[in-house]
Amino acid sequence: MDNTTLIRRPAGAADGRKVTLAQLLVYELRVRDAMRKDPVTARPTDSLRTIQHLMKTHRISGVPITENGKLLGIVSIEDIINALDKGHINDPCEKWMTRDPVTLRDYYTLVRAVTEFDRHGFGRFPVLDACERLVGIITRGDISNALVHHLEARAEQAVAHEAALVAERQAQEQVHRVVLRATIKSGDFDSAGKISQQMREILRQRGIAPESRRRAAIVAYEAETNIIIHSVGGELRVVIEPDRVLIDAIDSGPGIENLDLAMQEGWSTAGPLARQLGFGAGMGLPNIKKCADRFEVRTELGIGTHLHAEIQMKKAELNPGQTTP
Amino acid sequence: MTTQDIIRLLRAELLTGSADTEVCGCYVGDLLSDVLASAKPDVLWITIQVHRNVVSVASMKDISTVLITCGRKLDTQTIAEARQAGVTVLSTPLTTYEAAGKLWETGLR
Repeated sequence: MDNTTLIRRPAGAADGRKVTLAQLLVYELRVRDAMRKDPVTARPTDSLRTIQHLMKTHRISGVPITENGKLLGIVSIEDIINALDKGHINDPCEKWMTRDPVTLRDYYTLVRAVTEFDRHGFGRFPVLDACERLVGIITRGDISNALVHHLEARAEQAVAHEAALVAERQAQEQVHRVVLRATIKSGDFDSAGKISQQMREILRQRGIAPESRRRAAIVAYEAETNIIIHSVGGELRVVIEPDRVLIDAIDSGPGIENLDLAMQEGWSTAGPLARQLGFGAGMGLPNIKKCADRFEVRTELGIGTHLHAEIQMKKAELNPGQTTP
Repeated sequence: MTTQDIIRLLRAELLTGSADTEVCGCYVGDLLSDVLASAKPDVLWITIQVHRNVVSVASMKDISTVLITCGRKLDTQTIAEARQAGVTVLSTPLTTYEAAGKLWETGLR
């Protein structure tokens, strides 16, 4: 069931008044959805006594009288009470039954059925199909039961629908959002660049433009080497989203003493080993800043440094003849 | 200019990669961050650094060819990493200054 149509249709029909789901169902459901099918019937020659027993056995209050599938009349519990009262309980029922009773068609809407109950004041209606065959019997109680039953089903559907939507959204996010994280050890120059490498491969598979990939790679690499060179260790976290990359480098100290100086090109506090390996150019943070679309450093001496950077990703243009490296 | 031309010109040795790798332009630098900041893709990068981070930086910047000067060599593991990253690596006995000078003279801009 499409929830959208469910909500739109009554709003129009009721001139903006609020319509409850129950009111709606009364328009949607048909008599055949609520009636009791294959009703207990009796033949015209059966005695009222027989019918009394049928009512008792089946706990029903009305019995249609049929012949060869055709409805002739109906005997209600009131007829039985009268018969007992007046002493003709053993007569064949055709003598006392209500002939040609008012019937409902199985294709009527429930709202029409309710109207008929109100108009005639009967407790039940035999139900005929389009070919005049008796196919059921319906009471007000049957209508209530049908409404409750369908309301429950709708509620379950709504809950299931909601759950499916949530699951789908989560699945999509998992597909499009990749999180890479690694513990970075102080002085571990040999491991530098692994996360950056992984990230570049994922971005390449996603068809991200080389220029965007390079910027993200430089930020990740510089942030990682910063932890290796300057800190006691920390963590690098890379979150790859469809249109951007978020990079967080968090270390456990010692913190940057003078952030303004650290942001200056050429300023470095790297040790001799790092410098020997080609680090310590004093360009790490300036490089990150240059490559990132958003960049933030929070640092506290003795506590540590948290670097956050965001890089927007552009899709590679599909130029024939130009392949992405 | 191809790797083959550079090998002949600088008496270089091909450590890994293809002799047909094309380079357009050149960058000289031993500071990794500087190379990250300034080198353009597909250039020849001349350096005396032999640490494995050279491969990381080269592949990050899409630098196709690295020339190691002063006769330095990469260790086998770093060579393997370069091969995997698709980076061509050459080694020349010349100094960075001599190598860069000869390349400039030949017309590599």
